[in-house]
Amino acid sequence: MTLIFGGLALGAVYAFVAIGYNIVFISSKTFNFAQAQLIMIGSFVAYTGLVTLHLPAPIVALLALAVVFVVAAIEERVAIRPLKDPHAVLVTTLGASVLLDGAAQLIWGTQPLPVPFFGGDGVLTILGGRAYPVELALVVVAVLLVLLLTWASRRFVLGLALLGMSEDREAAMLRGVNVRRLVFGSFACAGALAGVLGLFVGPETYAVATLGTALALKGFVVLAIGGFGSIPGTLVGGLIVGLVEALASRYFGGEFATIAVFAVFITILMARPAGLFVRTRERAV
Amino acid sequence: MNRHVLVLGAVVSSAALVLAGCGGTASSGGGAGDPYRVLVTGGLSAQGVLATNSKTSVISAQASADEINKTGGIAGRRIEVTVVDDGGDPTTAVTKLREAIAKGKPDLYLNSGPSVIASATLPILQQNKILSFNIGPTNESADPGKFPLNFDLSPSPTDYAKGFIAHAKEKGYQKIGILYGSTSYGASFVREMHQALTAAGLQVVGEQQFDAKALDMTPQLQNLRGSAPDAIAMTAYGAPVGYVLKSLAKIGWTVPVLGDTAVSATSLVSTPPPDGVLGTDQVANLMMEVFDSTVYDPADTSVNTAVAAMKAKAEGGVIPSTLINAYNYDALALVAAAAADVGKADDPGAIAKAIEKPEVLAKAKTAILHDYHYSATSHSPNATADAFVFIKPSPLDSGQFRP
Repeated sequence: MTLIFGGLALGAVYAFVAIGYNIVFISSKTFNFAQAQLIMIGSFVAYTGLVTLHLPAPIVALLALAVVFVVAAIEERVAIRPLKDPHAVLVTTLGASVLLDGAAQLIWGTQPLPVPFFGGDGVLTILGGRAYPVELALVVVAVLLVLLLTWASRRFVLGLALLGMSEDREAAMLRGVNVRRLVFGSFACAGALAGVLGLFVGPETYAVATLGTALALKGFVVLAIGGFGSIPGTLVGGLIVGLVEALASRYFGGEFATIAVFAVFITILMARPAGLFVRTRERAV
Repeated sequence: MNRHVLVLGAVVSSAALVLAGCGGTASSGGGAGDPYRVLVTGGLSAQGVLATNSKTSVISAQASADEINKTGGIAGRRIEVTVVDDGGDPTTAVTKLREAIAKGKPDLYLNSGPSVIASATLPILQQNKILSFNIGPTNESADPGKFPLNFDLSPSPTDYAKGFIAHAKEKGYQKIGILYGSTSYGASFVREMHQALTAAGLQVVGEQQFDAKALDMTPQLQNLRGSAPDAIAMTAYGAPVGYVLKSLAKIGWTVPVLGDTAVSATSLVSTPPPDGVLGTDQVANLMMEVFDSTVYDPADTSVNTAVAAMKAKAEGGVIPSTLINAYNYDALALVAAAAADVGKADDPGAIAKAIEKPEVLAKAKTAILHDYHYSATSHSPNATADAFVFIKPSPLDSGQFRP
């Protein structure tokens, strides 16, 4: 069970990245390569708030939310908004991720910084396995977040507008949806969410300048397994990737962890090219 | 006719002068009154730890030059150090080196970068017959048959393994597990460590690799625990060190962990909470391999002199990383001893031959590694087990641990 808890926690971290990718993708059909770096910045802000400034966790959560909201908003204005060719976004967001990596190194250095978890750091024994409280919290937060986002997307006009935009951008505009404002809002909100999640990811991974790079690719794999645009898919994809990685490392060796993830990834895409939770549809042209 | 001859003569002379200016490399001078010119390159503008290590490396060369100049320089020639930033990039390093040679061939080149820089620059140095030392060894850099004028300063993984074996035998460990990252150094570490441990009569009961970007080491450690080792030999740097320690605590395994110099260079283990884990249960079973010069000893005059000289050169008086990166301090001391033996400093071949002599090596006032064992067949330092010590994680001050 220790292995399962670890794999699920890791999968939850990957799912957080994929959720951010998805929020941006649903609203703008673009892919924010810097999403994992936003979580990294969130973990550094959590370190600064909790360790350097000795602030209470709720205040640090608000601080992280605000800081990363602003960073993501700036990224949208600088790296997304001015572009006429949507394909160029891939390059500019990749550039933003490199910039954020460099900025994090300049501000916080290159060494890993421990982020304390407000739920304690003692090892718990549950169902015969051992886990840190933050590992359990990561899984619970991932499940709650997916349930909340799925519910909100169907319950509120804003969520419906976003779904409408993802289906047909022009039709949404004709129905009075302010597409540009919604794209900006969803980009910045994905950043704010990443900031808050930094409080949970940091205690698991340390606040470290290489974190974004470590998470970005796995987050993308999770997104593709679950399906582009599917929020529930990110949770299932994340848990699959986390578990496969842990089990492959345990039973085949660490050198097979990434290979096993990509073997599962390719197998799923061969069976369901659009991912587990998205159906391909035929269109008459 | 005479006018034609004069014109022809002028054209030929001009062409000869132009060709002389363009062709080949500028001479190094090298007369008794000329400075002994040392070119030091490093990734000063690189990102992260590479820049920090390069800064320490450059400072060590400057500090060593100051100390040797106080006693008359190299064979009476005052040392002049030129620092060039190669950004840690081999292409830039090659360009900068060629530019520097075109301006005036240096007497000595010190490479403060990783092995990719050495791979790129060694052929150029060989072509120009420039004496060199480097801290990033390659597979061929210590082979005098290939590069007779180059010397490696960093011990090889085989040398590091000698320290592990001595410590394991002292503690009575018979069965060793090896944990390593998916890097080229990790691959080299596990290969050399396996061979050396087995040759020393110890048993390697398990080898586990982790991805350099892995975030959890629990599966690898559970695997190793299954083979019941007496201790784990580990190479890791940065966050992976923390993941290993956290995972060990999570599974409640109190096996002794023997970390290499990369582990000791990770500030997480030498910094107390809340910024690190020094003094916590997580490092209770960790021992780290370091050079004996990296541990503070008030009686070690040569190291303390080096530290004082480096602090005088460092920005704000702070040595950026551990003394493990300060090999360049020893490079100039080795050249000074060899030049004293030869009687002059302008013959790189003679200097290189002198550095291969045990009596010259014994006289060299090195500090970072007290003894180098170069020979006509190996230009690797061939450090002995007593060059290394294993210490518990402890605070770092002025590049030295203070247990």
